[in-house]
Amino acid sequence: MTEADDKALRLHAALDGELDAAGMLAFERACAEDPALAAEFARLESVEEALRRAAPIEPAPAHLRARMAALGAPQRRRFWSAPPRALAASLLLGAFLGYGGALLRPAPPQDERALVSAFMRTQIGGQSVDVATSDRHVVKPWLATRAPLAVAAVDLASAGFPLIGGRVEALDGRIAPTLVYRRREHRIEVTELPLSGRASENIETSRFDGYHVARWSDFDRSYVAVTDLPETELADFVAAFRAAVAAEREEPRAK
Amino acid sequence: MTASELARRRFTAVALPHLDAAYSLAKSLAGNGADAEDIVQEACLRALTALETQQVEKPRAWMLTITRNAALTFLSRRAPPSPADVGDLERDGRLSAAEPGPDAEARLIAADESSALRGALAELPLALRETLLMRAVHGLSYRDIAAATAAPVGTVMSRLARARAALSQVLGGKK
Repeated sequence: MTEADDKALRLHAALDGELDAAGMLAFERACAEDPALAAEFARLESVEEALRRAAPIEPAPAHLRARMAALGAPQRRRFWSAPPRALAASLLLGAFLGYGGALLRPAPPQDERALVSAFMRTQIGGQSVDVATSDRHVVKPWLATRAPLAVAAVDLASAGFPLIGGRVEALDGRIAPTLVYRRREHRIEVTELPLSGRASENIETSRFDGYHVARWSDFDRSYVAVTDLPETELADFVAAFRAAVAAEREEPRAK
Repeated sequence: MTASELARRRFTAVALPHLDAAYSLAKSLAGNGADAEDIVQEACLRALTALETQQVEKPRAWMLTITRNAALTFLSRRAPPSPADVGDLERDGRLSAAEPGPDAEARLIAADESSALRGALAELPLALRETLLMRAVHGLSYRDIAAATAAPVGTVMSRLARARAALSQVLGGKK
C-alpha cells in the first residue's frame, strides 16, 4: 500500500468515525496543516450527506410489515385469552387463602404480564439495566431522580442475590422503578408500584410463559418480582427482600 | 416448517425492528420495490429459522447480513434487471411534473442531485454498492461490514474509497 493510499483510507476512516482518539487527533492536526486535506474532508462529508438524502431508509410497505409481523406472532394463544385465565387463577388463589368472601382486589394481571414481557425483552435484547452497578447508594439516587417513588434499593448480596443495577419501566402510563438482582446466571427483577387497593401481607405467586412472578405489598406500595429462577428460590428472594426493606425502615437514617 | 415459540419471540424482538432497514437495503440492491419485498420475505424466513438455535448480538448488522445474502441469491437467479417501479419514478420527479412554488427551483436542483446520485449508485458494482450503503445509510462499522460481506476490513475500506470517489465525480460534474 502506498503512502497516498494510506492517507486516503485514513481520510475515509476519519469520516466514518473509525479512528481511535489518537488517530483522530493526528488527523485533525494534519487537516489544520493542510487546507487541501481539510477541503477534501468537507467535500466527502457533503457527498455522504447527499447520499443519505438520496437513498434514505424508507418504510417497508404496510402489507409486507403485516405479513412479516405475523411470522413472529404467537401461535396458539391469542392475546385476549390469557388474562381472564390468570384472573381466574388469582381469584381462586384468593378464595383458597380464605378471604372470607370479601372480594379483595385481585391483582391486576396486566402489570404482571407487562413486567414478564419486559423481562423477556431485556433477556433477548441483553440490556437489563439502565444503571449498572452493585452499589445501592448509586442505584437509589439514580432511580429517585427518575421515578416518583422512593426506591427500596436494598443490598441482598449476603443472602446470595447481588444487585446488578436498576432501570425504569413505563407501565400503562406509570413510571415504575425496577431493581435487578442476580443469582447464578439468572435474574430477578423487582418493580415497585403504587399500592392499589388494600395492603396484603400475602405473597401472590403466578406463572406466565414459564416465568415465576410474585406480588406482595407493604403499607404503602406493591412489589412485583419476575424471575427465571425456580419458585422456591423466588420465595427465598422475596423473604430476604421483605426482611431487608423492613430492617431499613426501622433505622431510616442509619446510613 | 413451524417455528417454535422461542424463535417467534426472538424474531419479533430481533428482526422486526430492522424491517425498514432490510427493505431499504434490498431495494437498493435489487433496484425495485417488488423484488425487495421478495428478498425481505426470504430474509425473514431465514432469520426465523436461524433464531431457533441462535442468539444475536448485533440485531441490525445481523438482519442486514441476512438480507444482503438473500438479495445476492435472488439476484443471481434473476436474469434481466427489472425496471424501476412507478413509486421510484414519482419520487425522482420523472412521472409527475414539479409543482410550481417559491422553492420549486431549489427542490428541482435537490431532486436532480438525488436522482443523479441514485443513478450513480445503481451503476456501482454490487460489492461497492452494498459496502457503501451498509456504511453510509445503515451505519454499520467496518468490522460488521467485513463480517457481512465476508471480506477483510482492508477491502471494505478500499471499496468505500472507490465507491465514494465514483459518487463524488457525479456530484462534481453537476456543480
